[in-house]
Amino acid sequence: MMRQVIYALLLGVIAEFYFFGWGVFWQILLGVSTAILVESAFLKIRKLPIKPVITDGSGALTAMLLAISIPSIAPWWIVVLGVAFALIFGKQLYGGLGHNPFNPAMLGYAFLLISYPLQMTTWAAEFLNFAQSFEAIFGINLPDALTGATKLDSLKTQLALGKSATELSINSISQAWINLGFLLGGLYLLARKIILWHIPIAFLSGVLTISSLLFLIDNSLYLPPQNHLLLGGTMLGAFFIATDPVSAATTPKGRLIYGFFIGILVVIIRVFGGYPDGVAFAVLLMNIAVPLIDYYTQPKVFGQ
Amino acid sequence: MPNSALAQEFQGGIVIANNSSGSMKIVQAPLPDSVILPLQQRIGDEAVALVAVGDEVLTGQLIAETTDYFCTPIHATISGIISAIDKQIIPHKSGLKSNCISIKSDGKDEWISLNQQHKNFLQSPPEKLIDAIQAAGIVGLGGGGFPTHAKLKNLTNCQTIIINGTECEPGIMCDDALMQNHPLEVISGVEILLHICAASRAIIAIEDDKPAAFSALQKCNKNQQISIVKIPTKYTSGAEKLLIKSLLNIEIPSGSFASDEGIICQNVATVKAISDAIIEGKPLVSRVVTVTGSGVAIPQNYEVRLGAKFADIIAASKPNNLPHNLRMGGLMMGLDVENIGLPIGKISNCIFVNNAEKKPAEQPCIRCGQCNLVCPVGLLPQQLFWWSKHKNTEKAMDYNLPDCIECRCCDFVCPSHIPLAQHFVAAKELNYQQTQQQYKTAIAKKRFEFRQFRLERNAAERAEMMAKKRAELQKKMANDKSQKAKIAKALERVKTKKDENNSNI
Repeated sequence: MMRQVIYALLLGVIAEFYFFGWGVFWQILLGVSTAILVESAFLKIRKLPIKPVITDGSGALTAMLLAISIPSIAPWWIVVLGVAFALIFGKQLYGGLGHNPFNPAMLGYAFLLISYPLQMTTWAAEFLNFAQSFEAIFGINLPDALTGATKLDSLKTQLALGKSATELSINSISQAWINLGFLLGGLYLLARKIILWHIPIAFLSGVLTISSLLFLIDNSLYLPPQNHLLLGGTMLGAFFIATDPVSAATTPKGRLIYGFFIGILVVIIRVFGGYPDGVAFAVLLMNIAVPLIDYYTQPKVFGQ
Repeated sequence: MPNSALAQEFQGGIVIANNSSGSMKIVQAPLPDSVILPLQQRIGDEAVALVAVGDEVLTGQLIAETTDYFCTPIHATISGIISAIDKQIIPHKSGLKSNCISIKSDGKDEWISLNQQHKNFLQSPPEKLIDAIQAAGIVGLGGGGFPTHAKLKNLTNCQTIIINGTECEPGIMCDDALMQNHPLEVISGVEILLHICAASRAIIAIEDDKPAAFSALQKCNKNQQISIVKIPTKYTSGAEKLLIKSLLNIEIPSGSFASDEGIICQNVATVKAISDAIIEGKPLVSRVVTVTGSGVAIPQNYEVRLGAKFADIIAASKPNNLPHNLRMGGLMMGLDVENIGLPIGKISNCIFVNNAEKKPAEQPCIRCGQCNLVCPVGLLPQQLFWWSKHKNTEKAMDYNLPDCIECRCCDFVCPSHIPLAQHFVAAKELNYQQTQQQYKTAIAKKRFEFRQFRLERNAAERAEMMAKKRAELQKKMANDKSQKAKIAKALERVKTKKDENNSNI
């Protein structure tokens, strides 16, 4: 099951690769290796069997989600630290798979973003080849011309400078393609019934609702809703991150509420918050609410 | 016939591919050499044997009686000699041994003379028919084993009788075969029930993957009160409350019974047994059993005497030589059993002989929610599992633990291969124990508090009494002051007298 999710991620990964280059490959390789090492070591300390945990693919999936969320040219220790934090503090310390209240990948992401904001918001401005990206990741500094700020971050700055939102939206073509890649992968998961429709649909409706509302209020200040759908981590979040079954709500009604509010929070954090993207914080915030949502959205039991 | 429309579907449940391709004949199993008849029934007290070792018995003869309302009398299922009355392992959930009567066959199968006084059942009063059903030892043959007479007695205002011919568990085909081979008996059994319950209608429900059984019954049914309905093939369609919901759109409230709504449910095999008992006067001495599974060459139905060994009919189905897992009852709700020497009982509708396979390893629950999609009663098994596993019965009760019907749909779909239903059964048992314990504790507390109260009351009473006594005594003493004075005076008198005497000397 986890393996299917990893396959479904590939389309989006290929899009990222197309725009940012080999860095994506390095990040994933580093992340997944770290995941295997960290989990093996932890299980050894806990004196638990290692093989079933490594082969269930959940650690690798966490690592991969984190690796593709961070900038492709972030230094190597970023992804290593992030994955280690995600798996130790986000998963194993709670008792391993199935016991963690928070989405481990997003916990790792939030940790990195708060601790290393500079490295976490510097993206490659163009395709970097195998060697270039290797140099960038393993410590040889790049000339500034090759890097740029996160798309959403720069959009925000430029909006503040007075450029109209529609004028800017054309720039985000790479973001749109990546998002489309993840959307297709997500549709594959839906078709294979590996995820259920409730969370992604509710998530996207949440994004659409709040961003349309903002756009109607002032279309010179806020981005049009279609941009919110195709920018940043929207599709990755809707289909791959919010749908993590362990930390998501589990009742049908609860899943709708959970997804919808993540969507709303994503836009609110993007627009009004200090960080470029809001998926990680939105997911973590709603993770906290899961026990409550589940308790109050129990389906009707036969005969009651 | 009035009603042959497809009934509506219920929520949840699972469709399991039924790849059994057995014949629908009912093979007469050869007369067993010996039978083992347990005195312990589904629940309740052990029956009391009326025979002793060495006695000769005839087929159908009453050999054990019981006063327990939820048990039935036991009959000899072959003619022969009582060879032993001792403890044996029986196929029961508890795995405990029970006292059993063993009969060694004389090979003649001589029957008792059959009492056919109720042959024209419409002339017999319902109470007499219920007594006859009880005397024939009839219990629910669908697998539940609930005594039929207990369902029929004290029934008020019964409107509808539902005859369960769904046979929704994959693999079992004994009811299908029974309906195809004995449609007349089934219909007459339903007519007897209609007379007993004074109900206005009876509905025979059959899953739509059994067209032959449907048309066989349809052909025999001349009664306007009886309708035969196809329902969609889906597992747990035969669960009583769900069946009522799909047929009548009545939802029996949690905690109450179908009879509260004027409905009773009976299995088709039970109905046929009722017909045999009333029309022919035959007690229940045999049943149809399916032998199936990956370990046998020919899945087959056998009419077999109760108390015959599993081995007797397994052998006839040509099992392969590989190691087998045995299971009695359905694939989903049945009971794993250890050996083929166990006796066939009234609830043994099916014996699975499966090639032993390694079960996939259990993995942690990732709350994927597949289980709540298939739960036919709308529970959240993943939440129940969480609380059951951690023995938090209070929380499990919040998530409606008692409503679980233990159908194991959740187990079937769980991608982590967790035996969920097993956890729920354990949690129910734990909850029962805890409530018992709480009840006992409450009583003990009451008793202790009363003792405390009694001791205090006694002490208080005693103190009061003592105080009273003391007061009385003091009063007395006070009264005695005059006397004291008298004494003192007398003493003085004596003294002066003495003094006088002394001075006189």
